[in-house]
Amino acid sequence: MIKTDKLTKIYSSGTKAVDNLNIHVKEGEIFGFLGPNGAGKSTAIKILTTLTRPTSGQAWVNGHNVLTEPVKVRCSIGYVAQETGIDYFLSGRENLVLQGRLYRMDGKSISRRVDELLELFDLKENADQLVSTYSGGMRRKLDIATSLMHDPKILFLDEPTLGLDPHSRASLWDYIRMLNRDMNVTIFLTTHYLDEADKLSHRIGILHKGNLKIVDTPEALKDSIRGDSVNLALTGGFKEKAISALKGNPMVKELLCEDSHVRVYVNNGSEAVPGLMKLLNGHGIEVSSLTVSRPSLDDVYLKYSGVSFKEGESSEGSNPWWAQWQKKGWGKKWKGGEDSNQDSQEGGQQEWGKEWGNGDKQWEGSEDKGDKVQESGDKGWGNWSPEEMKAWWSQGKKEEAETTANQLLTKADENPHPHPPINTSGASFNPLPEGEEISLPFKGRDRVGMGFSNEPKKGEWEMEQDDKQEVTADKDKEDIKDKENKEEENIEEPWKKWQGTPEAAEWWAKQVKKEG
Amino acid sequence: MVQLASDTWYLFNKYMRITLRMPMWALFTIVQPLIWLLIFGQLFKNMASMPGFPQGRYMDFFLPGAVIMTVLFGTSWSGVSLLREINYGTVEKMLVTPVSRVSIVMSRVIHSAVTVIIQCIIILIVALIFGASVAGFKGALLSLIVVFLLSIGFSGISNGLAIWLKREEPLVVIGNMMTLPLMFLSSAMVPKSFMPEWIQVITKINPIDYAVETTRAFYSGGVSSETVFTGFVFLFLFASVSVSWATEMFVNQSE
Repeated sequence: MIKTDKLTKIYSSGTKAVDNLNIHVKEGEIFGFLGPNGAGKSTAIKILTTLTRPTSGQAWVNGHNVLTEPVKVRCSIGYVAQETGIDYFLSGRENLVLQGRLYRMDGKSISRRVDELLELFDLKENADQLVSTYSGGMRRKLDIATSLMHDPKILFLDEPTLGLDPHSRASLWDYIRMLNRDMNVTIFLTTHYLDEADKLSHRIGILHKGNLKIVDTPEALKDSIRGDSVNLALTGGFKEKAISALKGNPMVKELLCEDSHVRVYVNNGSEAVPGLMKLLNGHGIEVSSLTVSRPSLDDVYLKYSGVSFKEGESSEGSNPWWAQWQKKGWGKKWKGGEDSNQDSQEGGQQEWGKEWGNGDKQWEGSEDKGDKVQESGDKGWGNWSPEEMKAWWSQGKKEEAETTANQLLTKADENPHPHPPINTSGASFNPLPEGEEISLPFKGRDRVGMGFSNEPKKGEWEMEQDDKQEVTADKDKEDIKDKENKEEENIEEPWKKWQGTPEAAEWWAKQVKKEG
Repeated sequence: MVQLASDTWYLFNKYMRITLRMPMWALFTIVQPLIWLLIFGQLFKNMASMPGFPQGRYMDFFLPGAVIMTVLFGTSWSGVSLLREINYGTVEKMLVTPVSRVSIVMSRVIHSAVTVIIQCIIILIVALIFGASVAGFKGALLSLIVVFLLSIGFSGISNGLAIWLKREEPLVVIGNMMTLPLMFLSSAMVPKSFMPEWIQVITKINPIDYAVETTRAFYSGGVSSETVFTGFVFLFLFASVSVSWATEMFVNQSE
């Protein structure tokens, strides 16, 4: 449906927004295009929707070349831009009719299609009110409806849920799924929300600096991350200390940094926590909070772009506004000011420091000496450029992969103190769920290996919004998957051999005693 | 060509609808000309008694000037709303449809010309109530063609500048810088015989002066065919050049 060949776009300012991009989107799929602001998502979408011309390379949409047959491309696609392009002082119906006219449909099919779409998007009651009276969610729905007037085969959605509340987001997701499933519309979606890409897309492409890093299903991408991540929240100077303390540690597979957080990738999150804490405490480092999580798309993103979302945004924010202006294509380039506002809102207050303070200079300077990665260890972590982090990370990865492999082999023999079941979904260790009576140490074998559920109490649960329910459901799914995995790898887990032995029974008895 | 016309018509329709839904616009359309006529009519009233003044009453002299002033102030903002549409993504939304690019610019300039014509009709009616003399209904109607051409010309410049400058602030500054001096460098308020020679030279290339002179010729009834002919030719050229430039800017930018 969509195919590009070495697509490149260089703006007159010299910025390479899209760099040798090759995408292939199949018919009937939802393709998620993921990347931080400034990664080139919008430029790519603008080339595909004929809004801007590529500097070099070719692109075909629905079999038509975007350069030589732009009108045919336009007729077969719908485009929902970041800004709702509908007219606020027209009614919903008038907007739809106008759109039909612009697609040169005849009056009869326009009125039929308008009724259809108003019904579909549940906008019938407000059809004759001015759009200025609509809520944000309704405007989005109308915006999508207008782009479906001519029954396009492909729908481009450029960050469709930007600025919507969680409820509207969830309902918009349902609409997008429905369009794809019931109306067989191929959907090309850009987003910088990881959960959105995760939930909606059949396949995800991660874009970084105008280049596609990887394309795969969300599941496969998540599977490609081995191990859990321990997310440490550290204040100020502790961060750099912690990094130097953790860097050489054999337990640590990978180390990534986000604002005030340090992400430590380890084989088994919960198992590693005590050791990590001991190590950090030994260096006099205070950890303000700690979470252990299973691989998420966020980790995937970090892995393939070598930079966290927040860092990516701030690197754009640290450019002077005129550079941002030049960097962007038609439409976006008109409002550099607005955009930088948005960035700083999302990124919090540190962003301002980077934008106006001397952090800016350090950032730019560090990009030039990307090859001096080795020495950069003593430099403040926050001042690392994405390239440096990436280079450092990939270098460390190779060495550490070897150590981890060796470790794994010897682990079973080395470990003299086998441990009880590990809670993989949370950091706190809780041997038994609340309210459960302790009678036998190994009452439910099926519980072994899976995380004890942290399900909220009934009341709380019901109060949460729809999307929260989805989150919980997903987590449950992950837990089940987790369990399956663990059962397969039964032999590799030393404590599984241990269970059922007399020592184990003894241990459990002690625990029970302690609990009172 | 048929498609260009129909695209332009539907977009024009949209802009008209939006304009007519602004109650404040309707109110000020009536109030603004009243203010021009009242203030300038009073301010320069005694000029009519100066020796060499061509017409009997200043009001009669100034009426064409007031009409053309309305054109200037009504159209030199046209580009601001284009910028707003670009920022809101409305233009982008139009550009992904097969709609003719030229029709987007055409519908905008025609829209602003039509709104200005409505204002000018109101001025004429108000001026007649105040006792201005307009010689003949036909002359009044023909003057609206002048208004149309000049509006299209200035709104084309404003739209073109908007695309070139990309920001509202410089557009407003340049718009002001363009309209006010050009008006004072024409015979809108002061008869030519009162002007220093160098200004008289400038009036020869000032479209506003041609518009004022032609309108004045229509209103005073003494239709000198030469004034009207050169006026129409000059204004037509001005309108075509400015609209072609704006269209060129827009089409270039949108690709």
